[in-house]
Amino acid sequence: MSITLTQGLLLGVFAIIAGLDSWLEVFYIFRPIISCTVTGLILGDLQMGIIAGGLTELAFAGLTPAGGTQPPNPAICGIMTVVIAHSTNVSPSTAIGLSLPFAMLMQYILLMYYSVFSFFMPKLDQYASEANTKKFAQISYLTMGIVCLTFFLVTFLSAYAAQAPMAALVKAMPVWLIHGFELAGGILPAVGFAMLLKVLLRVEFMPYLLLGFVVASFINFDNVLPAAVIGIIFAMIEFFRDKKHKELQAEIENMKNSDNFFGGDQDGI
Amino acid sequence: MESKELNQKLTSKDLTRLAMRSCLLQSAFSYERMQAGGWTWAQVPLWKKIFGDDKKALSEAMTDNMEFINTSPPMVSLLMGLLMSLEEQRVDRQTIKGLKNALFGPLAGIGDAIFWFTIMPIVGGIAASFASKGNILGPIIFMIVYFGIFLLRIPFARMGYNLGAKAIDVIQENSEIISRVATIMGLTVIGALISSYVTLSLTVKIGDVSLQKDFLDKIFPNILPLAFTFLLYGLLKKKMSPIVLILLTFIMAIVCSFFGIM
Repeated sequence: MSITLTQGLLLGVFAIIAGLDSWLEVFYIFRPIISCTVTGLILGDLQMGIIAGGLTELAFAGLTPAGGTQPPNPAICGIMTVVIAHSTNVSPSTAIGLSLPFAMLMQYILLMYYSVFSFFMPKLDQYASEANTKKFAQISYLTMGIVCLTFFLVTFLSAYAAQAPMAALVKAMPVWLIHGFELAGGILPAVGFAMLLKVLLRVEFMPYLLLGFVVASFINFDNVLPAAVIGIIFAMIEFFRDKKHKELQAEIENMKNSDNFFGGDQDGI
Repeated sequence: MESKELNQKLTSKDLTRLAMRSCLLQSAFSYERMQAGGWTWAQVPLWKKIFGDDKKALSEAMTDNMEFINTSPPMVSLLMGLLMSLEEQRVDRQTIKGLKNALFGPLAGIGDAIFWFTIMPIVGGIAASFASKGNILGPIIFMIVYFGIFLLRIPFARMGYNLGAKAIDVIQENSEIISRVATIMGLTVIGALISSYVTLSLTVKIGDVSLQKDFLDKIFPNILPLAFTFLLYGLLKKKMSPIVLILLTFIMAIVCSFFGIM
């Protein structure tokens, strides 16, 4: 189904909100699970939006800005996944792959802004030293305004203006290619998880990773809650052990000190 | 004690305001100073209240705070509250600046460990498992949890303000154990997520024997997703960029689809 002008504009407005949130990282409505759902609501296909939200959220689970690398923009990826699935009738997991170029486009625009906004810093320094809070605020509004406008334009153009070429592209894709994209959508979470492992995994933590894997592979339960509870259990054990360890160490320190004291005394005699 | 009451100009309403304004932290983000612009802007109204007509003090505070800072957005109000209590006491500028520089790094470490590496996989994983079956509970759970995390900015600001300089010991002493504990929780869940949500299975048959169903699944279910995740992990360790890995994943999937392997 095609996207109407009203829907395109509404998506643009939502992109302003979600985009600003992804810039500031406050409410996390920029995460795919929310941005997909809202997009589904706007396009009148809430059910598909929710399903796409679950799949895309997992694909982005490990793609976080923590650790210094800016990932493909999750807000745009969420919006475009639902837009593409809705307008070209492909499955949501195929649509994730097709929406990635749009998310990467936004990623590179934001990276460019990070560099460009450095030029505002001397102005901010000047207003800071003059204690000119009004002018200082204006610069901050300006940077946020630029970000909002960009999110609106990118989303409106990608969702509304580019829908005909997009539909033509999907139509021209052979079955094996569409199926390939669908497979990739299912494997994609592995990239995010690998990125999390790169930050978190040390040899001493390996048992916990394997434990979670084994639990989920052999317990038939709908979600990862059992593994999360087991994780919490081990975290508590570790926490109390660490506390005990610290107490013990403090005691040993004390004993050592008093030993020295004694030693000193005896030496004196 | 007496002097503290004498100098106390900030009310709990002001601290709530500070917590709300802490959302502006990344408003003027740039590579050169990271969050400095938003960090300064967020605190301006409270400084104005503390310094009153003293323009010089305000200018000095703003200039000092325009130095590089990069910390955890959900926890930043803790640091703001802490430093604000020192500003209120008119502690000398050098001390405040030193504390800020000493604390923003460890706070970023704690924040990333708790919010990105632990809460995000757990809440995202559970919410997504509802959502991928079409259950609206998924996005609703996610939104409620993250709204709660947003509201935490208020107690964080109060905690920082009330503890004042005492918060420094609390942050520095506990940052190591907090990240350890968070890592354990996070990794357990990531192990489960790899098993549940990386979909990778072969359709190849050798004679009548399906390689996936009759062979791999009998040895260990989900062994392929685990192996593939570790392959990617190894490539990341070799400094390969995530974007390249995403492309590799697509190429592999498309090639396998073309030859009917998957």
